[in-house]
Amino acid sequence: MKHNSTARTLAVLVLLGVAAFPLYWMLVTSLTPSERLFDATPNLLPTLSQIGTYAAAFTETSLRQWLINSLIVAVGTTVLSILLSVLPAYALSRLTFNGKLLLGFALFMTQMLPEAMLVVPLYDIFTKLSLLNTLLGLILANTAFTVPVVTWILKGAIDGVPSEIEEAARVDGCSRLGIVLAVVVPLIAPTLAAAAVIAFFHGWNEYVFAQTFISDDALRTASVGLASFVGELSTPVHTVMAVGFIYTLPAVVFYLFVQRYVVAGMTTGGVKG
Amino acid sequence: MMSRTVSQPRAAARRAPIDHGRWVPALFVAPVALYLLVFQGYPLVQEFLLSVTSTSLLSPGQQTYVGLDNYRELVFDPEFHQVLRVTAVYTLVCVVASIGLGLLAALLLDGTFRGRGIARALVTIPWAAPPVAAALIFVWMFNAQYGLFSHLAQFLGFAEGGVNWLDEPSFALPAILITTIWQIFPFSSVVILAALQGVPSELREAAVIDGADRLSIFRAVTWPTIRPSVALLTLLITVWSLRRFDVIWLMTQGGPLGETNTLVIDLYRRAFVYLDLGRAAAVGIIGLVVAILVTLVYFWLSTRAEKAAGKR
Repeated sequence: MKHNSTARTLAVLVLLGVAAFPLYWMLVTSLTPSERLFDATPNLLPTLSQIGTYAAAFTETSLRQWLINSLIVAVGTTVLSILLSVLPAYALSRLTFNGKLLLGFALFMTQMLPEAMLVVPLYDIFTKLSLLNTLLGLILANTAFTVPVVTWILKGAIDGVPSEIEEAARVDGCSRLGIVLAVVVPLIAPTLAAAAVIAFFHGWNEYVFAQTFISDDALRTASVGLASFVGELSTPVHTVMAVGFIYTLPAVVFYLFVQRYVVAGMTTGGVKG
Repeated sequence: MMSRTVSQPRAAARRAPIDHGRWVPALFVAPVALYLLVFQGYPLVQEFLLSVTSTSLLSPGQQTYVGLDNYRELVFDPEFHQVLRVTAVYTLVCVVASIGLGLLAALLLDGTFRGRGIARALVTIPWAAPPVAAALIFVWMFNAQYGLFSHLAQFLGFAEGGVNWLDEPSFALPAILITTIWQIFPFSSVVILAALQGVPSELREAAVIDGADRLSIFRAVTWPTIRPSVALLTLLITVWSLRRFDVIWLMTQGGPLGETNTLVIDLYRRAFVYLDLGRAAAVGIIGLVVAILVTLVYFWLSTRAEKAAGKR
């Protein structure tokens, strides 16, 4: 048994090494003096005196503005996705109506559509609506892709709410909308949080729309800003990696904190749905 | 809203018929239906209409109707056959490897051991990292001269002067696959790990007492419980692989020699590099049909499996 647990510990350590190494390498690269980046043997440890690279990442690039824009897009996508999804999720779970199957099918279909496929027609629509080159346009485009997932997850959670609870509220004279907002929403709060996190990450990570719909430098998101460094040679590698690390770290830390709820929320949705 | 209903009986009386009215569902569903129509349905129709025209990105207003020409030429285009092949290989390897690795990780992280909570959290790091950042770091690690993988290859004596991973036709797709699998295997692991919590421990213990070996316990007890999750993962990862753009585009843009040119990359290249919107749209529609077929097969197989399980 002893031998067994040692082998397991070793295997777990290897696994965690594989999972964490690329981010560690990003950090090490960002903290390596540029003249030593091209050494014959790689430097496997960070040079802590290089911490100034992180200040340079903000002064030499528009990182601050990019992060703010990404945050606006991510928060906007989250809020709009939740607002749009709660009621249809409830309807799919509880109500019978014509076209219910069609709605379910339409929601599922959107999972098949690659963003890249809709870039051209959406560009056309946004031109007509004067939404090109606006963060609102990005929020609207992203939400079209998060709403189906969010709706589906919320529907799973609502399926798990006993309908007796609702009936009690109904007897008290609550309207349907009142029931959803005052009774159902609080009961599915953990799943709601999980769905919000998923929508937030979609907005934070999104690349192809932000790349195509935004031409104004001041409106670039962090994903596009970071992508602009790929294959470009004028910005030092360690600065690029510092930008990448600053863009990645908050997402990873945030995810580690909320992960418990996301997994719980997604699995209740999945099991019941 | 609720308090007003309680304090104003008249309002409640007026609202009461709403509950029985047929338009409650309509009201609940209308906003999202409208939204999806505008931002998904309409663009999809536009894309389909584009696919039967010859249209240049330089003058999108001038569209010449060409019927099914775009599709016909794609069907006979050897380069497009390569696209289909690359897409199939990419998708298949993504599904098998990330579920396999995820299963392995889940089995390792299941059960009780010291530091389990931290280990379970840390393993999800790749999944939480933005794809653009993942692409950036892997591009650097796959750098021909200074990348870690080249150093490693030199150290192990495989290559003298480093390997141009991303520009080498036989290495580019594996490099992209490594990046993708690194990003998505934690998702499989988390989903399978959650499913493993449903494995009845009494059953496992009984099997151990009966002297069953690990493999038979896995086959008889564990696998039936996690099978639906694995099936769902198969579908999700297939569809995501068919859609993935950012990582591939940033690492190779479909090259070298089209060896990483998946359907979505091909669609984007045709639209924005070759400016051929009509042909690009046709590629998109073909990709969509493939995705739908895959989904239908999935549902057909899973209902058949459910029926078979019911009979037993």
